[in-house]
Amino acid sequence: MIELHDVAKAFGEVVALRGVTFSVPDGQITGLLGPNGAGKTTALRVVYGVLRPDRGRVLVNGIDLGSDRLSAQRRLGVLPHAQGLYTRLTAREHILYFGAMHGMGGSGLERRADELVRLLGMQDFADRRTEGFSQGQKVKVALARALVHDPENVVLDEPTNGLDVAATRQVRALLRELKGAGRCILFSSHVMQEVSALCDRVVVIARGQVVAEGTPDDLRQKTGRESLEDAFVAAIGSEEGLS
Amino acid sequence: MSWLRSFRVVFAKELVEGVRDRRALVAALFFPFLGPALLALMLFLVSQSSRRADEVGVDLPVAGRDHAPNLVAFLEQGARVVPAPADPEGAVRRGEVDVVVVVPPDFGEALRAGRPAPVKLVTDESRPQSRPAAAAAEHLLAAWARQTAAQRLVVRGVHPAVVEPLAVERVDVSTPASRAASLLATIPFFLVMAVFTGGMPVAIDATAGERERQSLEPLFAAPLPRSSLVLAKMAGASVFSSLALLETAVGFTLVPLALPARLGFSVHLDLAVLGRILGLSLPMVLLASALMVTLAARARNFRAAQTTLSLLMLVPALPGMAIGLLSARPPPSLYAVPFLGEQLVITHLLRAEAVGPAQAGLSAAATLAAAALVAAAAVRTFERGQPLFEA
Repeated sequence: MIELHDVAKAFGEVVALRGVTFSVPDGQITGLLGPNGAGKTTALRVVYGVLRPDRGRVLVNGIDLGSDRLSAQRRLGVLPHAQGLYTRLTAREHILYFGAMHGMGGSGLERRADELVRLLGMQDFADRRTEGFSQGQKVKVALARALVHDPENVVLDEPTNGLDVAATRQVRALLRELKGAGRCILFSSHVMQEVSALCDRVVVIARGQVVAEGTPDDLRQKTGRESLEDAFVAAIGSEEGLS
Repeated sequence: MSWLRSFRVVFAKELVEGVRDRRALVAALFFPFLGPALLALMLFLVSQSSRRADEVGVDLPVAGRDHAPNLVAFLEQGARVVPAPADPEGAVRRGEVDVVVVVPPDFGEALRAGRPAPVKLVTDESRPQSRPAAAAAEHLLAAWARQTAAQRLVVRGVHPAVVEPLAVERVDVSTPASRAASLLATIPFFLVMAVFTGGMPVAIDATAGERERQSLEPLFAAPLPRSSLVLAKMAGASVFSSLALLETAVGFTLVPLALPARLGFSVHLDLAVLGRILGLSLPMVLLASALMVTLAARARNFRAAQTTLSLLMLVPALPGMAIGLLSARPPPSLYAVPFLGEQLVITHLLRAEAVGPAQAGLSAAATLAAAALVAAAAVRTFERGQPLFEA
């Protein structure tokens, strides 16, 4: 369970978030939908504790991230916008490194790494250094290290960006699996099909504000539009930055 | 998870990455040999040049020796007179010989007539290595002129001492040993350089490099105290910096062993001194790593970090070298200047001069305090998450 209460953040003159409030329930996939520059990445960065909001607070399983960052971050699995990897470490070493950071170790961590390698189909490249990995391989490594501690909440910033069809389907299957296991999943996207294919709930964000919230059906009903895409355009009031 | 454990996890990863980084390994394992190698080469050259002058004697090419048999006989007492090359000036210019004495045909006639007899001394002032030979030739010619003048005065019934109001005796106390000792002043300089160059690639890679590869964000999203993250990165750089330092110091200790024993000087650099130098340098390692990680984390990108840190390295290294060349006792306050104090103390050790615990303690305390301040400032910026988004 992730809750944002009136979160605001500005970078100098540029206001990225103007008081964002929404919550992400367990056992569901929540999509943070918005055009480019709407504040999606900023909102997620505040959620996983690498940006301090100017105002407002974030609760992870009820733990205030502002006052107890470490406890909150322990309950989060994070796939940031850029899947920066260490080119001199192997894929498996990435999993072990992040597992160790979450306090795991020994044979338990080894077993978990094996499990993730199987789950994500990384057998062919698990023990290779990540130098020269394809985008799909990189995303899998980044996902594996995000999930190593089996987090109750998973936050993903445009997880299927730059992936081919097969890899995209794998990622979606994984998210559904996590949902089945009762996890709380928040992911951002500016791709309509992705959102309609995956999400139980949608939070539409534009110009740093939540402009609509609910199930895809709610959204269609509220705006009186047939397709989610039309509903989305009606919600944000323009077609700018969509795909 | 405890603070110490997160520190250990990040520290171990920095070491693994560093060991797998060719650039980091070259900086920590190969570069440190340059200083000792350079010193060995220079000491070798000093010993060679001094042997030429002391044992072999000066070769003195003389052209037109038939025109002045007396002069040549005199010169032969102080040097080995050899036939001059056909083109004296060209030969000196090309560096084939250091000096040529040219006696023109009218030498004897002028001498007999009592006029100043012309002698040409061909030298090349732009070549320092020809100076001893030129000076020797000039000295011999002047001695002959004095002798001849004295003879003329005696013939005329005047005591030669009348025209020699001064009796200057020049005593050159420089020995190969003392000349070599001045080279030792470069040792502290190379030690400071090693401290910086050894840890630099790791310090940059762990900060500006991580940000450029975008691996810093997942790290910031992990449940780690930021202070453990910063200090682990500094510790990683310190390990490579210490390796480079150890190698440089051991290299300098080996230099005297590699040179011919007849060099005739003893560097005061045995295992006991080596141990003290390493102990004294440890605060420098910590401060250098703290500085490098802090600055590299603030640099715009990898290249900017490299430029900044290369300049940073010269700041503490150069003044120490200048002071090392001076022989005067430095004022006590200089021992409290990080890097400079260490270089002064190490210079004293190498010269076998007494080092008080006050001096060594002051320099170590000042440097450690500076390292703590820099590290604390870095922790604050990391806690604000700045290194991540400042780029």
